[in-house]
Amino acid sequence: MPLNIDIQQILLHMLNFAILFAALYFLLYKPVRRFMDNRNKYYDELEEKTNTTLSEAEKTKHEYEEKLTALKAEEKRIKAEAVNEAQIKAEKIVSDAQTKAADIIAKSKQRAAKEKDSMIKSANKEIRHIAEEAAQKLVIDGEDAYETFLNAFGNGEN
Amino acid sequence: MSKKRRIVSACIFALIIAGLITGIILTGGGRNDEEPIKEVMRDAVLHESGKINLFGLIEVNPGLVSALAVSCTLILFAVIVRIFVIPRFTIKPGRFQYLLEKAVSLFSSLAKENSGHRPVFIGGYIFAAGLYIFTSTIFELFGIQAITVSGRPIALPAPLSDINGAIAMGVFSYGVILLGGLFINGPKGAFKALKDFSLPISMSFRLFGALLSGALVTELVYYFTLTSIVIPVVVGVMFTLLHALIQAYVLTMLVSIFYGESTEPPHIKEKKTKSEKRSAKHEKVS
Repeated sequence: MPLNIDIQQILLHMLNFAILFAALYFLLYKPVRRFMDNRNKYYDELEEKTNTTLSEAEKTKHEYEEKLTALKAEEKRIKAEAVNEAQIKAEKIVSDAQTKAADIIAKSKQRAAKEKDSMIKSANKEIRHIAEEAAQKLVIDGEDAYETFLNAFGNGEN
Repeated sequence: MSKKRRIVSACIFALIIAGLITGIILTGGGRNDEEPIKEVMRDAVLHESGKINLFGLIEVNPGLVSALAVSCTLILFAVIVRIFVIPRFTIKPGRFQYLLEKAVSLFSSLAKENSGHRPVFIGGYIFAAGLYIFTSTIFELFGIQAITVSGRPIALPAPLSDINGAIAMGVFSYGVILLGGLFINGPKGAFKALKDFSLPISMSFRLFGALLSGALVTELVYYFTLTSIVIPVVVGVMFTLLHALIQAYVLTMLVSIFYGESTEPPHIKEKKTKSEKRSAKHEKVS
């Protein structure tokens, strides 16, 4: 053959390379690749887990924020309600007090009027009584009046 | 002049004198009396006279012995790595693990880039081929000696600088491409590979030519005593390393590209309906 080409040696070279290829493929390439694939898978899973946890945390944070907002709104509403209620109560108390005060004033005025009437009546009675007594005294003791007057006058001179 | 400077100057002067004396002695004559350069070059290309007895069975070129030595070394290395290193792989790789992973991922990504349909098998193939070409090219640097049939010692050459080794590599790679196409795409895939019938020849002779040129240059450099002093450090080592890298890359890339072409799934053309055909005809006419 030209160039010293030898079919037998070519076949021997091919056999040699075929065995080498099989050995390298199964002993080195495949195990290393499997290890790398597994590691990539592990990293992917880790990333997925992290992403899931992160999204869950975000979700929980969002939920808590929503709850917080709702609670703040509720707090505001309760406060407003309480203020409103207190105002209504205060107004009622004030109006009740005013009514009571008006009642008391009216009653007092009534009582005062009654007392005034009764006092006037009793005063009138007393005045009449005094007048009667005075008239009686004037009638009964008319004769001694002059003497009394004189005595009184004499006592005054002394 | 300081003492240090004086010492340096004396050293330089001594080196120049030594160089001149060496030159005078060496330029006295070549090795023409031993073996003519024509014979040396012819032997480097054809290996006609430097045959080696293989286990007492047949006489083979030294390239085949080199190939067997390289394969045995690589297989031994793979076995040791498989038993002692791979089971101790960690998530955070060490230096050696990183090197192995880098080599594997280099070839698997090359396979994915060029033949993305079936990258696993061809990734393994080009990994083995690349490693073999690289190691076998570097092998010649070690200058391992063997005894020829005629009893003369010979430095084992790179396996692929033997034409039989290069043809074997090219044809084997072509066979992988052809069979890959046949298994995956049936006769259509095989036909795609058959279209490039010149591929095994081009791949074989590219490898052979590249490695042979390196071997010839090295032989030439070593033939003359004058050029065999410092120049081989650059010519031998650098050229061999470059050859090893370039040839490993070129062959693996070519194999992955052609494998990708032959295993590419066929594009199914959508059948046109009659009305579509008619409207297309009308458009053409208008």
